[in-house]
Amino acid sequence: MRLRRHRVREQESSHGIDLAPMLDFVLNLLIFFIITAVFVKEVGLVVNRPTGGISTAGGDTGAIPISILANGEIWIEGRVVDLRAVRANIERLYAVNPKNGVLIVAEPGASTGLVVQVVDQVHLGGIYNVTFSTSG
Amino acid sequence: MRSRRHTPESEDHGIDLAPMLDFVLNLLIFFIITTSFVKEAGVSVVRPEADTGEYRESGNIMVAIRENGEIWMDRRPVALRDLRHLIERLHIERPDDSVVILADRDSEAGMLAQVMDEVRLGGIQEISVAADSGEGG
Repeated sequence: MRLRRHRVREQESSHGIDLAPMLDFVLNLLIFFIITAVFVKEVGLVVNRPTGGISTAGGDTGAIPISILANGEIWIEGRVVDLRAVRANIERLYAVNPKNGVLIVAEPGASTGLVVQVVDQVHLGGIYNVTFSTSG
Repeated sequence: MRSRRHTPESEDHGIDLAPMLDFVLNLLIFFIITTSFVKEAGVSVVRPEADTGEYRESGNIMVAIRENGEIWMDRRPVALRDLRHLIERLHIERPDDSVVILADRDSEAGMLAQVMDEVRLGGIQEISVAADSGEGG
């Protein structure tokens, strides 16, 4: 009995190639790829840049202009507007002329945080056609 | 001979590895394929907060702008004039890449505009500005 079992095992070993080392290797590869899989999901706001050479502020495109000054003031239609009022103002202007997008003209010294917050407010107002340019 | 190979004695030798191997290989292939080779910027910046940010699945080239105006890409600082060539090279290697600009909250908007222009001149039109979702702090 013992002898026969031994013989059977011998036959099995010649049955095919030994899968164990390959399996080890494949499992290692798998673990490597699982670990190095970078699940980076950046939350981003899509902002256009004006096409063409030098951007003109508002002008003939008919977009709704928002100016952001270096000192943090936001100007819409010649008035200083608080950040929280941007959305309401933009919604009103957009309702008047729904074809137009929004053009944000920032002074080069304005902070990016404020620009992004203004873009966010405009998005919240339902307008996703936002163009970002700088003055001067 | 033939009948002896199918005896129960050889069956209880171990569990059948073949289905597990199939499964593991499938997993492996899945992970190889879905690995996105994200070019990380290499610096951490304070992102502006925004509520309407959307996840960009394909955003895998990170360009960071620090508050002092340094531009970081692929774990090293780069000059503004070199950015275009770097982006061009990456764009040729993987044409469907898009760029996420990680601009610090206190960086200047002028720098952001210049970086966006350089990236566009480098051939990548899909640019988004990274933000933190509002509740994340």
